[in-house]
Amino acid sequence: MTTSFIRSDDLTAFLAAMLEATPVYGPVAKRSRFVFDRLESPEELRLDYDVTILPPRKLFFSPAQDLLRFDEAGPAAALEPVEKVLFGVHFYDVKAIDQTDVLFAERNYDVNYMAHRQTTTIVAANIQNVSGRAFFASVGTEVRPKGHDAFLTAVDGGYVLEARTERGEALLGYGAFRPATEAEIDEAARVNAAALERCPEKLEHGTAEIAAKVRAAFSDDDLWSDLAKDCFSCGSCNTVCPTCYCFDVEDTWNVDQASGQRTRFWDACLTEDFAKVSLGEGATENFRETPGARFRHRIMRKAVYLNPKLGGPACVGCGRCSAACTADIADPVRVINRIMAS
Amino acid sequence: MNHQCHWTEVENIFMPREATIVRAEQATPTEKHFTLAMKDGRAMEFQPGQIVELGLFGYGEIPIGFASSPTRTESFDLVVRSVGRVSKAINRLTGGDSVWVRGPLGHGFDLAGLRGQDVLIVAGGIGLCPTRSLIQYILDRRDEFGRFILFYGTREPCLQLFRDDLACWRGADDVEYFETVDVGDDTWTGNVGVITTLFPKVELTPETRAVVCGPPIFYRFVVRELDLIGVPRENVFVDLERRMKCGVGKCGHCQINDKYVCVDGPVFSFAEVQDLEEAF
Ligand code: SF4
Ligand code: SF4
Ligand code: FES
Repeated sequence: MTTSFIRSDDLTAFLAAMLEATPVYGPVAKRSRFVFDRLESPEELRLDYDVTILPPRKLFFSPAQDLLRFDEAGPAAALEPVEKVLFGVHFYDVKAIDQTDVLFAERNYDVNYMAHRQTTTIVAANIQNVSGRAFFASVGTEVRPKGHDAFLTAVDGGYVLEARTERGEALLGYGAFRPATEAEIDEAARVNAAALERCPEKLEHGTAEIAAKVRAAFSDDDLWSDLAKDCFSCGSCNTVCPTCYCFDVEDTWNVDQASGQRTRFWDACLTEDFAKVSLGEGATENFRETPGARFRHRIMRKAVYLNPKLGGPACVGCGRCSAACTADIADPVRVINRIMAS
Repeated sequence: MNHQCHWTEVENIFMPREATIVRAEQATPTEKHFTLAMKDGRAMEFQPGQIVELGLFGYGEIPIGFASSPTRTESFDLVVRSVGRVSKAINRLTGGDSVWVRGPLGHGFDLAGLRGQDVLIVAGGIGLCPTRSLIQYILDRRDEFGRFILFYGTREPCLQLFRDDLACWRGADDVEYFETVDVGDDTWTGNVGVITTLFPKVELTPETRAVVCGPPIFYRFVVRELDLIGVPRENVFVDLERRMKCGVGKCGHCQINDKYVCVDGPVFSFAEVQDLEEAF
C-alpha cells in the first residue's frame, strides 16, 4: 500500500470528486458541536472537530434499523446497504468499530450490521482538537485500530494519506495525490503522537491490572451504590458510547394494518427495565434492580467482561459518556482510578 | 476487517420460518399448549433444553424452550404463558393458524454426559415445560439411561401442566415420579409441601445427575438438598431460559455477569453460574 500527499488547496477538489461518485459521511458542525452526517459539499467537512455527539456506529446500526418487513404473504428482507465512504474518523472510533465488527460477526453472524459495515470505506483522520474528557491515550494501549481503509493526517501545507487496503488505495483516483516524502511521513507520525500527549484525563494502570481489580470489586455493593447514588438511569452513557450496541426489537404496523416491519432500537443497560422480565399475573423480576447493579454492569462490560474476546477493554477513551452524564458520574477514568486507589 | 464471510452469503439470523399450529390446548388459565409442525414439512431438529423464538408479525417474538422431545419428529410442542402483548396475541391462535419460529437456539442438555447415568429432574411450576423435552427423550430411549427420578411441584393442584402426562407417569414403572403442591385443595390427596419435601421419599446416590428448573428462589433450596446427598455441583444442571430477547447473543438483555444465557445457555451446570451474583 502507498502513502501519498495532497496539498491543502487540492483537498476540496478531491472531496468534491469523491462526493460526486459516492455518498460521503463525515464530521460536520451542529450548533457548537459536531455530528457525523452526509456531506452535501466539501466545505461542510470539519476535520478540526474534537469529538462527535454520537459515534459513527449509527451508519452500520442505526437507532432504528429494520430487520425485516412483513405483509400477508410473510416476511421479506429489509436490507438495502449502500456503498459509501465514512471520512474523518478518529482512531478511537476506529477501535470501537473494530469491536462491534467482532461482536456482530462472532457466533451468530449478524448480516444486518455486517452488510452496512462491508459496504463502507473508512478513512480515519488525525485528531486536531482533543475533547475535554478524552483519555484515548491511556486506555487499551495494546490494541491498534484496524478497521480503516486509509488514514489521513494534516501536516504542513497539506495532508498525508496512508492507504491501508485496496479500497483506500482506490480513493487516490479522486484527487491530485503524489507519493509522500520521507519527511512528510515522519511529520505525520509526529502529529499523531503529539495528539496522544494532549488528553486531559488519564488512566493510571494497564488493562490487565484494571480488569483484575475491577472484577474483584464486583461484590462491593457499597462501592457500586455509592458510585451510582446520583444516577438518573437515563441511559445517556450507553447511547453515546461507541462500543455499546444493546438493542430491543419491536414490530410496528403500517397504516394499512396488514404490513409492517420488525425493527431494532438502541437500548441501554442503565435504564431501569433493561433486565426486567414479566412472570405473569402482573409479577415481574428485575435481574439488575438497583442503579448500582446497572452501573456496575456497564463498568464490568467496559473494563472486564469483553476483554478476552476483544484483546483489550471495551472502552476507547472518547470521553463521550463523561460529557453526556448530567450527574457527571459516568466517567470511566474517575470510576476506575477510584477502584484502583482503594 | 477481520471477519471472513461476505454479507451476501449469509442468512439473516432474524428471519423466521413458518410453522402451523396442529393442536392448541388451554393447559391452565394462563398457559396454552401448542403442537406445531414446520410448514415446509421438515422436522425441527434440536436438543432438549434448546430454545426457539416464537413470533407473530405485528406483535414480536418471545423465547421459549422446547416442551417435547426431538425423538418425536412429526411435530414439536411449546407452552406459552400469557404475560405480555406478544404471548397474549399468540395465545388467541388456534389449530390451523400460522406462527413464525427462529431456532433452535442456544445450548441444551449435555445428553452425552447424562447417558448411562441415574438422572433426577426437579421441576417447579412452568419449569416442567423445558424439562418435558428431556423427560420424553429419556422415556423414548429409556435403556440408554440409568434410574430416572422426576419431582414436580406447583403452588396449587390447578396449576399442574401436562395432566395426561402426569397421569401416565404416576403409574409408570420407567420413571420414579413424585409430585407435590404448596397448598392443596378438596380434590388433592397427594403430598403437600415445598419441593424439598419430596427428597426424603427416595434414595439418591451422589453419582446422580440432577436437572433443576423452576422459579428463581427454587434453585438454592434444591441445590442444598443435592449438596446433602453429595451430588457435585458440576453434575447439577439448571435451565435459565426465562430472561432472553434476541436469542442470538447480540441484544445484551440476557446477560448474567459475563455469560449470555441465549448462546452460552440456557442450560448451565450449577458450578458455572453459582458465583454469578446476577443469576438467581
Ligand atoms: S451514569 Fe449518568 S448518563 Fe449513565 S444512566 Fe446514570 S445518570 Fe444517566
Ligand atoms: S465508556 Fe465512555 S469513554 Fe469509554 S468508549 Fe464508551 S463513551 Fe467512550
Ligand atoms: S437474548 Fe439477546 S443477547 Fe441473549
